[in-house]
Amino acid sequence: MTMKPATGVTVRGERAPWLTLKMREAIEAWLFISPTLAGFLIFFAGPLVAVVWYSLSEWNLLSQQATFVGLANYNDALFRNPDFWLVVRNSIVFAVGLVPLNMALALALALALSRRFRGVVFFRTVFFAPVVTSAVAWAIVWKFLLQGEAGFVNQLLAAIGIQGPNWLREPDWAMVAVIVTRVIKMVGLNMILYIAALQAIPRDYEAAARLEGASNWQIFRMIIWPLLGPTTLVIMVITTIGSFKVFDHIYLMTGGGPENGTLVLAFYIYQQGFQFFDVGYASALAMIMFVIVMGLTVVQLALRRRDT
Amino acid sequence: MKVRLKSITLSALALGMMSSALAAAELRFTVWTGNEAHLSMLNGIAESFKETHPDVTVRFETIPAGDYTQKLTFQLAGGNPPDAGWMMEDAASTFANAGVLEDLAPTLNAADGYDLEDFSEAAMGLWSGDGKVWGVPFSTSPFVIFYNKEMFDAAGLEDPLALSAKGEWDMDKFQEVAKALAESSGKWGFEFKDGQGYDTRIMHALMPPIRAYGGDVWANQECGFDKPEAIAAVQQLHDMVFKDKSIVPPGENGDYFSGNSAMTINQISRASLMSDAGFDWGIAPLPTGPGGEAPVIGQAAIVVFTAGQQKELAAEFVAHMTNKTNVATMAQFFPPARNSVLSSEAFTASNELIPAEQMEIVGEAIAKGKVLPSHERSPQILAAMKPRVDALWRADANVEESLKAVCAAIQPLL
Repeated sequence: MTMKPATGVTVRGERAPWLTLKMREAIEAWLFISPTLAGFLIFFAGPLVAVVWYSLSEWNLLSQQATFVGLANYNDALFRNPDFWLVVRNSIVFAVGLVPLNMALALALALALSRRFRGVVFFRTVFFAPVVTSAVAWAIVWKFLLQGEAGFVNQLLAAIGIQGPNWLREPDWAMVAVIVTRVIKMVGLNMILYIAALQAIPRDYEAAARLEGASNWQIFRMIIWPLLGPTTLVIMVITTIGSFKVFDHIYLMTGGGPENGTLVLAFYIYQQGFQFFDVGYASALAMIMFVIVMGLTVVQLALRRRDT
Repeated sequence: MKVRLKSITLSALALGMMSSALAAAELRFTVWTGNEAHLSMLNGIAESFKETHPDVTVRFETIPAGDYTQKLTFQLAGGNPPDAGWMMEDAASTFANAGVLEDLAPTLNAADGYDLEDFSEAAMGLWSGDGKVWGVPFSTSPFVIFYNKEMFDAAGLEDPLALSAKGEWDMDKFQEVAKALAESSGKWGFEFKDGQGYDTRIMHALMPPIRAYGGDVWANQECGFDKPEAIAAVQQLHDMVFKDKSIVPPGENGDYFSGNSAMTINQISRASLMSDAGFDWGIAPLPTGPGGEAPVIGQAAIVVFTAGQQKELAAEFVAHMTNKTNVATMAQFFPPARNSVLSSEAFTASNELIPAEQMEIVGEAIAKGKVLPSHERSPQILAAMKPRVDALWRADANVEESLKAVCAAIQPLL
């Protein structure tokens, strides 16, 4: 016959006398986090350190010849390769175009869809659906819609008397096209974050302001916008990081073209590493990208801290 | 006494031949086809290898064509090399120069009845040098014009095959019929290979007309795009796209295989798509030009990887796979590079989709053709070319200036 422990009683083995309670707790804590920690070290920290090392060597993936070259890859990228600055410029244009557009649209949608009304779930689903749509399918469909004269978008424009450009074949318009299609794809995610934040604002604030005679704009400007501050910061940081890391969208829609008009940093790194097999150079570029994104994030956080 | 000596020698020889096969072994062989007919043919060849190597099995592993070279590189870099595999022509120089391909010459020369000389010199050009052989071409597939017979009939025009038979199928005639077809049908006259002529297939779009005009994209480390022949050829294409509006322009779809273009350029392996096309069709040689006939060939070869653990065995399998019998077997799908097979009736009758007289065009083009250019830095060259070629394909582009810009970009890499 076995003894059943009473419910709610934690059964432990006999306490090892040489371990204090604190030490036991520490060991347990380490055991609990160890799976995640191991994963982090093997799949994140390890490669990160390796990239730093690779970036200091000239390493051809195919012939497996690696030579230590110090900072030559960085020197080459920053001071000798004109393409690099073009690529950085393109990445900045992409981010500057995408981040405000995405955030403004997300906020507008959230304001419209945060209240309860008939069909609200349907509209939320409609705007969120692209987020979970396959990036490949999304890009292929848009490529089709954005064809020169026969494309749906230009047919639509022609119907109202506008002759649309050959979207994906003209460098400036191609950039506009990839930004807008990316915004439509990803805006739903930020919309959901804003809706959650809006719903967390007590309705009393708005009611009180209205009693005081505040207009809709004043309520938004003086109450809602400041209270959305922390959410806005989070959205801004993740959207900026995401826009610098954009790869699949560019790869599928324009391949960096036309005339290098949409050649952004992440795609350029892919090209160097996986098409030219120059892993050392690609690693140096990845480090530079890491510094840029890190720098931008720190600046955004600092600005926010100054405001509060 | 003599007889006994002979029999001892023979059994020693047989033992020697079998020694490499005594231990059970598996060869891993990468290919880019997933087609069941292709794979069952390849498995048949692997089965017949058992006659001399009873314990050796060959496992064919499919990697999709689009990722093939990249994934192969990762397998080699990751210490997980296949023993042997197919290789595309544009990767040939890069891989050979990196020293990752095994020299097959000793094995091929030692193989009984192999006859390495039977492969035409033009076909071996990319895959050999200094008495070494890095690969054996198994598919030497010329580019031909596919045409929609019904669209030609509807426009009341003679088709390219008939024009070619009369010796009138040249670049000017090509431009003329393309324009007439586009005007009469409201569709397109010509589509570049797989509709990719402005993106991944820029070489396949520019190369055939440039060669027809007697030029080349590069030769002897010198860029040829800015030479008068190339400029004239590309100017003509440019006029067809933007003035005649007969070639599907950049950013539009005009798929030949669904009946939206009257002609396209491709290899005969694409004939497999034609059974579903639902219209009468045919193939014809590429149009000639001031430079005469200039067939262009796309190639793929079989290679053995230096990093593999069973190099000798893999090389023996390659020798088996590319002997006369097996090349003839593979010819039903892949135009052969062996002269003896090429001239045989078995080859012209091998493709059930293409009539024998049209297969003769394929055979002639293989005999006279030049392969697409390759270079150890071809990925970099293509990437450097791409933005300048994008600029060329604008309606208001100056063709000569654009081609000079192409040369300025790629000359340092050549």
